[in-house]
Amino acid sequence: MAASVNQSTTAISTPLSAAVQLPTTNNTRPQSPDFSWSKVLRIQGKEGILFIAGIILLWHFVSTAIHFSGKYLFPSPVLTAKTLWASLPELLLGTGYSFLILLPSLALAISTGVVWGLLVGTTPALSRMFSPFARFASPVPPTIYIPYAIALLPTFRSAAGFVVFIGIFWPVFLNTANGAEALPQHYRDNARILGLAKTEYLRRVVFPATLPHIFSGISVGLVFAFIMLTVAELFGASNGLGRFVQLYADYADYPRMVAGILYTGVVVWISMEVLERIKKRALFWLK
Amino acid sequence: MSSAFVLNSATPQDRPGLEVQELQFAYNGAPVLVDINLKVSEGEFVCLLGPSGCGKTTLLRLLAGLDLPATGAIRWQGSDIHGPSLERGVVFQNYSLFPWLTLAQNIEFALAKSHPQHDKRWRRNHAADYLDRVGLADSASQYPSMLSGGMQQRGAIARALALGSPVLLMDEPFGALDPVNRAKLQDVVLHVWAEPRKTVVFVTHDVEEALYLADRIVMLGSSPGRVIQEIVVPFERPRSRRLFKSREFVSLRERIEEHFREDILQRIEADPEIGACREVN
Repeated sequence: MAASVNQSTTAISTPLSAAVQLPTTNNTRPQSPDFSWSKVLRIQGKEGILFIAGIILLWHFVSTAIHFSGKYLFPSPVLTAKTLWASLPELLLGTGYSFLILLPSLALAISTGVVWGLLVGTTPALSRMFSPFARFASPVPPTIYIPYAIALLPTFRSAAGFVVFIGIFWPVFLNTANGAEALPQHYRDNARILGLAKTEYLRRVVFPATLPHIFSGISVGLVFAFIMLTVAELFGASNGLGRFVQLYADYADYPRMVAGILYTGVVVWISMEVLERIKKRALFWLK
Repeated sequence: MSSAFVLNSATPQDRPGLEVQELQFAYNGAPVLVDINLKVSEGEFVCLLGPSGCGKTTLLRLLAGLDLPATGAIRWQGSDIHGPSLERGVVFQNYSLFPWLTLAQNIEFALAKSHPQHDKRWRRNHAADYLDRVGLADSASQYPSMLSGGMQQRGAIARALALGSPVLLMDEPFGALDPVNRAKLQDVVLHVWAEPRKTVVFVTHDVEEALYLADRIVMLGSSPGRVIQEIVVPFERPRSRRLFKSREFVSLRERIEEHFREDILQRIEADPEIGACREVN
């Protein structure tokens, strides 16, 4: 799971550099330096747009051609778009509820994962203590905790928050610890010559040097977080994105359900984009 | 300031600087350095010259205190070296500036450790001064990844110098540079070495570089690393690169190369396995 998610994030990040360079190499018409849709959407040519248009067209024909149980089981693009527009207030509210669970867990998981990862990665004794446990506990698919977390913890929010935390913590911790452990020798030598104290060494040398690893951990963790969150909401939420999809599936309102799936995709995509921006800004010094 | 004055009034050989005594060092059971005895006087510029694999980088790390010897002693001004210290600045072959800090910030960060008594403004001025000395005044706010290898190495030299360490240890600092940048940086090092005078141990495998820079050349042989010869460089300072064509220079260079050839021959004759390896190659 982790490997495939990782691959997809690197696959996304490679075309970006090409897209950013495009205006300089292909400077035929003046472009706004601050904003351009093709930059935001990372569109590099007609092929991408044509492919999406093809899919929508195919979707349209399939939905109008087959009437197996009426248009409501397989809504057309137009119906889905209308439904999406009509459900937007409800979806936005659901996003708000979902993010109320997501963001605190995200903050807690990143901070604990990074701090603990830096300590374990630089302290052999801690590594000997924690690594066997981590090797056993980290591969457990966090979705497996959901039913028990809901049973064990007092509120749904605390249960969902807990499983989201688990989903983000492990990738962040593992990437941070591995990155800190693989710190290039000359950084370590320099720090030793300067006589840095441990906290200063961690804060001013190991942390920045490990930041690229930390960000790849967060990228993987964020994808996990959305999986955990929406799955948890399918189980027993009263609000939220996953709840929206589950609710209208129960009512057999498939246009709304499809609209909810599309909308969730957009939310996850935008979140990943925001993370990518933060990463670019934080790692500006990287060649 | 007063110590510099004393240095000028005494000839370098008078004062005990770096001392290596009966040093042995092994890595995973294989001997890397054997029976190393070495004296570097205060203010002296010594080049460690030898082929790759002769343990010259290891010896420099031992002098820095980054590694500790299995047996033997290393002293600076009579006291044992137990670990790395700001007294002995190191310039590594790979440009070891922190890439997340600008050139100036790299130096200021190091200065905060070496000169904690001074304030931020002093550190900023001091860093700017040393960047100026290596010709990087205009690049102070640049990040290392924006700079060429030569400029990064200048920055690393500026950082080592700004700390004011009386000893400067340099591990093939120009190994990855083109000949022009290499020549420029050699002159930068000679320029800053002179004032205030420092004790320099400079590792290289380039005979001309050693002859151009050093007061004395310590030749190291390989497998295992050991001192095979010491040569005092007789040329007056300041030296010019015209020197490279002089008969004296050429004959000294040939003498050094002959020593290395002779050492290899002796090794082959003493150990038939080395000879067998060479034939296969």
